[in-house]
Amino acid sequence: MTNAFLRVENVTVRFGGIVALDNFSLDVRQGSIQAVIGPNGAGKSTMLNAITGLYAVDGGTVLFEHERIDGRSPHTISRLGIARTFQNTELFGEMSAVENVMVGLDRHYSYNLAIGMAHGPGYRRSEIAARRRAQDLLALVGLADDAAIAAAALPFGKQRRLEIARALATRPKLLLLDEPAAGLRAAEVESLNLILLNLRAEQGLTILVIDHVMALVMAVSDKISVLNFGRKIAEGEPDTVRRAPEVIRAYLGEKAAHALGA
Amino acid sequence: MIWRVAICIAAVATFFCAPHFLAEYHLFQICLIAATALVVLGLVVVTGLAGQISLAQSAFVGLGGYGSAIMATSWGMPLWAGIPLTAFLVSLAGFVLGQLTLRISGHYLALATMAFGAIVQLALIHSDPITGGAAGMPVPPFRIFGLTLATGSRLYYVIIPATALLFLIVWNVMQSRFGRGLSAIRQSETAAEAMGLDVLRYKATAFAASGFLGAIGGGLLASLSTYLDPAQFGITQSVYFLAVAVVGGLSSPFGAIIGSAIFILIPDLLQSFQSYLGLVFALLLLGFIVLRPNGLASVGLSRYLGLASLRTAGGWR
Repeated sequence: MTNAFLRVENVTVRFGGIVALDNFSLDVRQGSIQAVIGPNGAGKSTMLNAITGLYAVDGGTVLFEHERIDGRSPHTISRLGIARTFQNTELFGEMSAVENVMVGLDRHYSYNLAIGMAHGPGYRRSEIAARRRAQDLLALVGLADDAAIAAAALPFGKQRRLEIARALATRPKLLLLDEPAAGLRAAEVESLNLILLNLRAEQGLTILVIDHVMALVMAVSDKISVLNFGRKIAEGEPDTVRRAPEVIRAYLGEKAAHALGA
Repeated sequence: MIWRVAICIAAVATFFCAPHFLAEYHLFQICLIAATALVVLGLVVVTGLAGQISLAQSAFVGLGGYGSAIMATSWGMPLWAGIPLTAFLVSLAGFVLGQLTLRISGHYLALATMAFGAIVQLALIHSDPITGGAAGMPVPPFRIFGLTLATGSRLYYVIIPATALLFLIVWNVMQSRFGRGLSAIRQSETAAEAMGLDVLRYKATAFAASGFLGAIGGGLLASLSTYLDPAQFGITQSVYFLAVAVVGGLSSPFGAIIGSAIFILIPDLLQSFQSYLGLVFALLLLGFIVLRPNGLASVGLSRYLGLASLRTAGGWR
């Protein structure tokens, strides 16, 4: 518990009178793939937005590598090594796929404004290296052939993978995925699974997924936390959580609870 | 590469030949187009690229014109040094204004920049001792290397290279990580922040750049017109610059040139319509917003010049 990589402690987020996240705590171990699941409106995205600095927290703390990050700006948090994708994809639609990834790489292939103005020494080398790295990241998520296509023109499944490539470009230590499997076909979910498992195996990346597509969450997660109405109602290994009656009831509904119980 | 060299040589040759073939009046108009294009280029950066609507451009133009003229009359600083110095100071003001106002967006930002414009205009009118108040002030002649450049045909040799240089710089920036960053911010501020871009700083810098370009354009326009009248720097003029940018194409530096050329040449072609000019411009603006939101630069012309391929090759659209 003490060496938690990401530690969310008693975080509360309110919107007016609505408590979107109620005294929520979560520990993410380094090198693990964890998931937070819950029905729509349970507060999953709110939690993600609170971690990444998009929403201010109304109580509690968020620690990343023992450093407080709540109250910091989203770009500072990104620079500390937390990257994310967005539920409704927030790609730079008019830019090509490779340029989208290059925005993520920006900090790692940088040169100053004067060099940018004059295309001075280092400009060309830096741009070429960044483009090559972006191509590699696209290949990693299976988009090698789509580099030149405008992000908005890509099919939905590919947009999701592009979001992952772009997030990886920032060189995160922790990757947060907001419903990466929503709207994907079964085969696409499977290839996404493989990508996530590879990322952990090859790069030691820690991944926190929020989703309600069981096929993804159950297959890859070491630990699952279940949210309902802003509160954590269960936590544990996928099998334990899958069988927990309160989870089945809250998350899949009464009928499913009966069906699975039978 | 060969094409680029060829285009450069052709451009330089045209630059030196033009004065021998064109009448004084036409050179004056070319200068007017170039200086206006610089002002509009500022809008291309802040509005077209970074996506922040600015109605402060005429204020930057006014500050550039007045600032350099005052430095020349009061302190004897020559315009060739005064204009860039003023532009630098104006860009600092633009940066601060950006830091203050860019936390808001959309309509509210437009209103805030409009308010800034109104304040600047009032300040110009009410600072009688140095600006001449509502009556305005004359602009001292542009002197460089002991030469006095009092006419359009002479200012041509200053205005055109300065414009070309600044356009080149903006073009380069657009093709760099900074252009990519601004373009990303325009398309999704949330995602740009999540990628680690300091959005506020980017936007404030874009504002500073628009201030710099506006002030340089303003200084050059002032030395062309030789007289500053505070009525020229109101909200109407800001809207005019925005209209030029929209008709030319907000997303491309070439749009600034095309738009300026149209708005300066049309009054000439429509001499008998003088009183309906406002209507013509309004219709142009409306037509473009509805039918061609990307302006003339997005139509065939740029494709003929082979610019379309350059555009897609870079990091912006």
